[in-house]
Amino acid sequence: MSKNVVAMILAGGKGTRLESLTKKTAKPAVSFAAKYRIIDFPLSNCANTGINKVGVLTQYESIDLDRYIGNGEKWGLNGARSYTTSLAPRQTEKGAQWYKGTADAITQNIDFLDNLHPDYVLILSGDHIYKTTFNDMIELHISSGADATISVIEVDWKEASRFGIMAVNNDDVITEFAEKPKEPKSNLASMGIYIFTWKTLREYLIADAKDPDSEHDFGKNIIPNYLNTGKKLQAFRFKGYWRDVGTLASLHEANMDVALNRSTLNIFERGESRIYTEDTFSVPQYIGPNGSVTRSITNQGAIILGKVDSCVISNEVLIDEGAICNKCVIMQGARVGKNVRVDNAIVGPNTVIAEGAKINVNGKEVVLLTGKVGK
Amino acid sequence: MSKVLGICNLHDCPRLGRLTSKRSIGSVTFLGRYGLIDFILSNFSNSDIDQVTILVDKYSHSIRNHVANGNAWINNTKTGFQKILYNEKQFSSPKFNTDINNILYNKLIVDDIDADYVIIAAPFFLSAMDFRPMLAEHKKSGSEVSVVYTHAKNANEEYINCDTLKIEDSRVVDMGINAGKKKTADVSLETFILNRKTFDDIIALSRSISSIYSFRQMVEYVCREGIYKLNAIEFDGFIAPILTFENYVKYSFELLDYSKRSKLFNPNWPIYTTSHNTPPALYGADAIVSNSFIANGSRIHGTVKDSVISRDVIIEEGAVVENCILFTRTTIGKGAKVKNVVTDKHAKIIHSKHVEGEKDALMFVDFGEII
Repeated sequence: MSKNVVAMILAGGKGTRLESLTKKTAKPAVSFAAKYRIIDFPLSNCANTGINKVGVLTQYESIDLDRYIGNGEKWGLNGARSYTTSLAPRQTEKGAQWYKGTADAITQNIDFLDNLHPDYVLILSGDHIYKTTFNDMIELHISSGADATISVIEVDWKEASRFGIMAVNNDDVITEFAEKPKEPKSNLASMGIYIFTWKTLREYLIADAKDPDSEHDFGKNIIPNYLNTGKKLQAFRFKGYWRDVGTLASLHEANMDVALNRSTLNIFERGESRIYTEDTFSVPQYIGPNGSVTRSITNQGAIILGKVDSCVISNEVLIDEGAICNKCVIMQGARVGKNVRVDNAIVGPNTVIAEGAKINVNGKEVVLLTGKVGK
Repeated sequence: MSKVLGICNLHDCPRLGRLTSKRSIGSVTFLGRYGLIDFILSNFSNSDIDQVTILVDKYSHSIRNHVANGNAWINNTKTGFQKILYNEKQFSSPKFNTDINNILYNKLIVDDIDADYVIIAAPFFLSAMDFRPMLAEHKKSGSEVSVVYTHAKNANEEYINCDTLKIEDSRVVDMGINAGKKKTADVSLETFILNRKTFDDIIALSRSISSIYSFRQMVEYVCREGIYKLNAIEFDGFIAPILTFENYVKYSFELLDYSKRSKLFNPNWPIYTTSHNTPPALYGADAIVSNSFIANGSRIHGTVKDSVISRDVIIEEGAVVENCILFTRTTIGKGAKVKNVVTDKHAKIIHSKHVEGEKDALMFVDFGEII
């Protein structure tokens, strides 16, 4: 890539809607699709694009996430010209403060970006599941002469009032932006993926930092300020699979999309759409004499002695004899006891479900199980 | 803490038929995920031995590809190392391509390694072996050379042609060969613990004895001639001796049994291996799998029974795989029935509807072959 692009991944949110899954782990570090963590997707997308300078903005429960990001080696982002690091809030000469919003997180790291001399800054969210390279978007940003380019996806008109909606002209130049509008003027939803020309963004961030009424948020402040002052905002139409997995139901559904092989999110592809992650030193998965696994994905280290259908099974999970699991996302180290029946659940890491427990049988709503469950 | 040099010795290893016709025994796939060398390298790693050399006799590319920079096994990637040593000069004259000649060819490198003790070990006796208590026992014995052995209770079937030890009061007084005539025998695991100086002296001494002696033969020589007293250290843990293709098959299937597997795989003694960035395994709606290992990246749409399936294997709809060992990236096509077969990497059974070997003599489908 000829232009210098630095990616900044917003990964500091608490993820309250994932309940106890994010009690001790930041949302981007939550397990996904048996082997991955959510943040593997934006990081692998950067790697596959050829962006090798990445800052990951962490804040809430950052130990696990910071350790995970390390120097970016898991995604190959530790090469000769790479620079990858997590950026938690820090004390500076001017004092110490938390990140007050998505834009503030970048403002507090202007020095980090300046040192890397970017032409463009790619802002990503750490909790989205999608596979892409950003090359087309970067090219559009450059060729259109925009000050910022926002990736948008067409959503169902009925759903549009749940998103940040962009109205565009014939050239896909954004004319209006409305956060969760009651009467949406378009069905193009912002995906929270932005490319900014750094020089301009830098000015707007500094101005925003001085505004006492600002929430220092990209969607609420920076983008409206760009529009209000006549900056050119280009929409980039994203095609393909994209999910925000911020709720238990959406996390469960996105996992099922992979297990049931029913979406375009193909984790088996090689080449530039491969998703990289940390590996575990586990024995290959073992399916016992009476075990059964159908319509599922399973990671190494799992031992399945019972019956599993439409499930996502992470490493070192034990499904004991006689247990039946349907539509479950079972995270690393969980143990499902003998003769348990559990349906439509997310089973958190290291959860133990006691022998014989019957949980959410034929339940329509997704339930979350953590800690010790059953007698 | 004493400084120890661990040497993984790939010279003078058994051949496993066509499994080792293109690769070193160390990089033969095992249980769908491992290379056989992973066990000894992990034993070094878990025993806090971070200075390791691998003596490669041939097919060095296969070892190099497997261990890469060695970081999967090394605790500290700056102070620790894993060096591959190879005898470029004599690799085309098999008689002279011995472990000792390899060490001599790379003498300047070996001399540079700061170690008080040397543990030289064979990669084909798979075990979870902690060298730390053995080293302590070696030091306590006051001997300059210790030999690690197992008291084999099935020596009439296993460990054929391995070295046997005659032991009196923890001393090796004689060495022989296991011809399989006796049910029990004390069998050398070709794992030697030596004081560094003794190691260097034995290598130097070999020049005046024979230019084609292996290290193992030199140990036998110094024992026979009474040059050193050999201390015997028993290892009483589980061992899977992979000495023949048949052994390889036997232990691949035996380890499906959890009671046996747990003796080799212990959460406190991880077996490290190279990572391949494979996705999880996918099971389709019609998958029927029982008593099998399935490695990541595999896509199972058919039936798999009593088998070991490696990474990125595809079993298509209606295919039936029974009592098979399928190596990485094997494809079993729609409706194919495959029984008692070992496939090497990239093999495809796609046209033939029925491929079956003997239960006691599995059929072998070579690297990249299409049936």
